[in-house]
Amino acid sequence: MSTIQHILRTVALITTTWLATSVHAQQQPPQLFSGMEGYTFLPDGTPVPIWGYGWVADGFITLPAPLLTYTEGESVQLNFTNPSPESHTIHLHGLDVDQANDGVPGTSFLVTTGDDATYSFDANYPGTFLYHCHVTTTLHLTMGMYGMVLVTRPDLTLYEGGPAYAEDVPLLFSDLEVATNLDPVGSFPFHDIRPDVFMINGESGSQLEAPERIVHFEPGQRLALRLGSMAYSRVVCQFPAELNATCYMSDGRPLPTPFEPDALEIYPGERFTVLIDPEPGWDGSLPCEFWSMVDETLESVENIHIRDAALNVDEPEFTSAIGYPNPTRDQITWNEARQIEVWNAYGVAVSNVRFEQGVLDVAGWPAGTYVARIDGVRSVRFVVIE
Amino acid sequence: MVSGIRYVLKCVETTGFILASVLAFGQDSLFIARGTWDQLPEAPEVIRLNASADWSNQNAILEREAGAASNLVIVNSDSTSHEWALLNGDAEGITIEPGDTAVVELPALAMGTYRLGLIDGEGGGLGAQSMLQVGLQQNADFDLFHWNLCDWETNQMASWSNGTEPDPNAAYVPNYFSINEQTYPTTLEDPNALISVALGDTCWIAVANHGQMDHVLHFHGFHVEVLTSNLQPTRIGWSKDTVPIKKGEGITLQLVANQAGTYPVHDHNLIAVTNAGFYPGGMLTQIIVDP
Repeated sequence: MSTIQHILRTVALITTTWLATSVHAQQQPPQLFSGMEGYTFLPDGTPVPIWGYGWVADGFITLPAPLLTYTEGESVQLNFTNPSPESHTIHLHGLDVDQANDGVPGTSFLVTTGDDATYSFDANYPGTFLYHCHVTTTLHLTMGMYGMVLVTRPDLTLYEGGPAYAEDVPLLFSDLEVATNLDPVGSFPFHDIRPDVFMINGESGSQLEAPERIVHFEPGQRLALRLGSMAYSRVVCQFPAELNATCYMSDGRPLPTPFEPDALEIYPGERFTVLIDPEPGWDGSLPCEFWSMVDETLESVENIHIRDAALNVDEPEFTSAIGYPNPTRDQITWNEARQIEVWNAYGVAVSNVRFEQGVLDVAGWPAGTYVARIDGVRSVRFVVIE
Repeated sequence: MVSGIRYVLKCVETTGFILASVLAFGQDSLFIARGTWDQLPEAPEVIRLNASADWSNQNAILEREAGAASNLVIVNSDSTSHEWALLNGDAEGITIEPGDTAVVELPALAMGTYRLGLIDGEGGGLGAQSMLQVGLQQNADFDLFHWNLCDWETNQMASWSNGTEPDPNAAYVPNYFSINEQTYPTTLEDPNALISVALGDTCWIAVANHGQMDHVLHFHGFHVEVLTSNLQPTRIGWSKDTVPIKKGEGITLQLVANQAGTYPVHDHNLIAVTNAGFYPGGMLTQIIVDP
């Protein structure tokens, strides 16, 4: 058994126990946890292991991590627990927190396996920020341990005296190298990491064309695009003129002079807030280019689809991804599922999948965490217990 | 601007000429020198722009007043000829033969951070590139620090050392990343790479990117204001915690130390916080603010 397989198996067992206790914690204040046993799926359905954060109440990690939202002036207590087999932290990127809460091993505290922690800070500035693990950062980031933080104002203005808008649209750019995520220990040397999957909010390619990914607008109602990058690439957003885009903020501060971007460069760790007021009837894409920071080659173009809400048509509903019971010993049900594919904790497809009318028979399966893809479009984790 | 550099004199009698020129022009000198970068395990051969005939792993930093032309004496102590330039716009250099000395006139420049150095393949590839700080002289109002950023591929350096031009079609795979020719943790031993100030102090940081790729510095604990930039002038006045430094850029940042503590500053292209693949390393330093 390789080291990483051992890690994953250990995590699966720990998670089984930990999930059971989390049921009792759901009445507690929201708490993030870190995990090293998640999956993301490429557009062709290939599962790729990830590490990340999730809400304790949900019990699973996501890519990117959950969006954290606060109100300007709020004194924040961010609760965090680490049931995973490695130490992690939360660095609140751009929020200028004090040294103790900075999330950097050596200068701040480390959250070791089994430990809980609380990060305290004041959300003094409205804007777009990020958070990520700062342990062996080169690796933990590419594995997926990052998310976005929004600090907003109740009156829906960007900042005091700033422009008003109707809705926030968080858009987090990131990338990963599949070979690294499949074999994190074997990814050394770290300077050789070259991403080959390029994402917006954890998805790419055809995934971004799904109906629920389309950004809808009401003419005359400005949307605040919250653009942030945790990529290893340089991202360039090519704004079509019909979006009537104006950039007002960067890194959580108002710009001295707002500007109308044509090609907006976003480097790793940077954030921009751009208001768009698209032309009525517009239905198009905002292309986002991913350029290699090492050799300046164009690696990928991912599109944010934006559409006048009046043009929307009825979209087919997807089968619910909520299976029950979970955890389970004998069977788990997804109502009306027509197709169920399953992978085990090592990313290996389970070949003897048996299901009928949405009921999956798991009797006799080894205990652990599994990932199911329902009808080819929804992925969910479930746990088999003994 | 570069055409304003004037090749004034070329002289073989180096030592005597330097003394005479310093007396005549009252200016400092740069010595093109070859040595070993013994901080890296590979101990690669490098070329530096030193402030004296004594070898140093670090390139010398020059200061000039804003708006005033000046002279600079350059001595080629190396065994090969090199081409030197002020890297401001289209680089148009002058060739200095081994053992020769040149006096160049630096044009009057606005306040800012500028790059200068060798632009021949070997001289640039082996790291003889430094910084000209114009109008940034430290005074009672602020402390001044500088960060010379660079990325390095030791295979490329070995080719230049062997007198062979690196394969232009080979993928560039930098394996070291430095601030002032130091890689973390030795950046913390450099009084210019490590920012140590008192609570409430203001400091200016002159940053130049001599590498083959863009870098992007993330400041923990603070936002900094962009004071000058040669390649991103539209960003002057922006308050940022994450600052792109484009390849070839000179930029000046202002930091107000408004909270005490120790905070990292590092490249957020995270392949660059490694040494030969090991984390942490590379382009990483700290800000220490004493209460």
